[in-house]
Amino acid sequence: MDKIEKIDERGVWEKIADQLRSRSMWMLHYCTGCGAVELPPSMTSRFDMERLGMGPMATPRQADLFLVTGYLSTKTLRRVIYTYEKMADPKYVIGFGSCTINGGIYYDSYSTINRLDQYLPVDLYIAGCMPRPEAILNAFTKLMDMIRKGEADGWKRYNENYEWYKQNQLRSLGEVVVYDEFHE
Amino acid sequence: MMNSMNDASVSQELQKVFEELKSMFGSCEAVHIDARQYKLIVPSDKTLGMLTYLKSIGYSHLSIITCVDWIDEKKFELVYILFNWSNGATFLVSTFIDRDRPVFYTVKDMWPTAEYYERDVHEFFGVEFEGNENCKKPLMLELWDDLPPLRKDFDPLQYSKEHFPDRTYEKDPIHEARIIRGDIEGDIEGGEIDG
Ligand code: SF4
Repeated sequence: MDKIEKIDERGVWEKIADQLRSRSMWMLHYCTGCGAVELPPSMTSRFDMERLGMGPMATPRQADLFLVTGYLSTKTLRRVIYTYEKMADPKYVIGFGSCTINGGIYYDSYSTINRLDQYLPVDLYIAGCMPRPEAILNAFTKLMDMIRKGEADGWKRYNENYEWYKQNQLRSLGEVVVYDEFHE
Repeated sequence: MMNSMNDASVSQELQKVFEELKSMFGSCEAVHIDARQYKLIVPSDKTLGMLTYLKSIGYSHLSIITCVDWIDEKKFELVYILFNWSNGATFLVSTFIDRDRPVFYTVKDMWPTAEYYERDVHEFFGVEFEGNENCKKPLMLELWDDLPPLRKDFDPLQYSKEHFPDRTYEKDPIHEARIIRGDIEGDIEGGEIDG
């Protein structure tokens, strides 16, 4: 997509809302890949993300931030798209680790996708394989900053370019329907 | 592993098992891996009999069923790994089937867990297990439309290129050289990574 000059279109109330949103974030961590092991230290006493006003959330409907931690197989990506669409606006996505950026060490795999931003609007990437908790916390503060400035507008882009995202999803996945024989 | 069992008594026990197997199934090749691990290579028509026998004498834990693609010999090798909890010994029962007509029999009536190992082998190598109807259901690869991906003649890179768009980078040698020389430091904000 072409880069466009960012214009702040937010009204006063939304600006105020964004200030408040950035100070209370609930994170849904979808632990798809190996990088997920860096999350327990980020959440607990050593690095303690709660001091930033963030907490882990177990369900998509109550979460603001969607952290995709690592490689995504096509099977997982279907569930990830489901999960993302279940979240309420405004919602933010962080792609975590090089696997979400360019496929990482799985660039030639038959079942893992190569870039997450083709399928979901990613607000921020954390590079590294795997990123350390310092990098994760850095990303969180950066994301909060972006929310305050109105730059974390992935959810708006997803609504505006829904057709484009759907096309990419269908192209790589064939179908975005989730079959689950164990819960039929 | 039981402490009371030392290697000597295990190998004595195993010798007995080998003699039994020889008298029941004729010649079967046994490859020594280590003191408690042997690989038995059996013809495919005797495999089920041997698995039944081994299960009955204590080798009752089916650790996994797996498959190897010997593309030059035009064979698939099926490997059943059986473990004995009372002496800590392992048998790898291996058999070769025709690669062009990969059909074998299910063992899911002996080990219910085998159902999933067989579905796994079916999905990744295309081996059919007669008697396991669930083989047709997708397990890990949903909506797969190509060769089974762990076959040696399948090209994963090609498949990845066709299905999953990649990121393209513009190479900037001068910028890289300046980073290597230490003129500029890595930028924490990061550059634009829009392909
Ligand atoms: S980026 Fe590295 S650590 Fe993260 S999921 Fe990929 S391989 Fe694992």
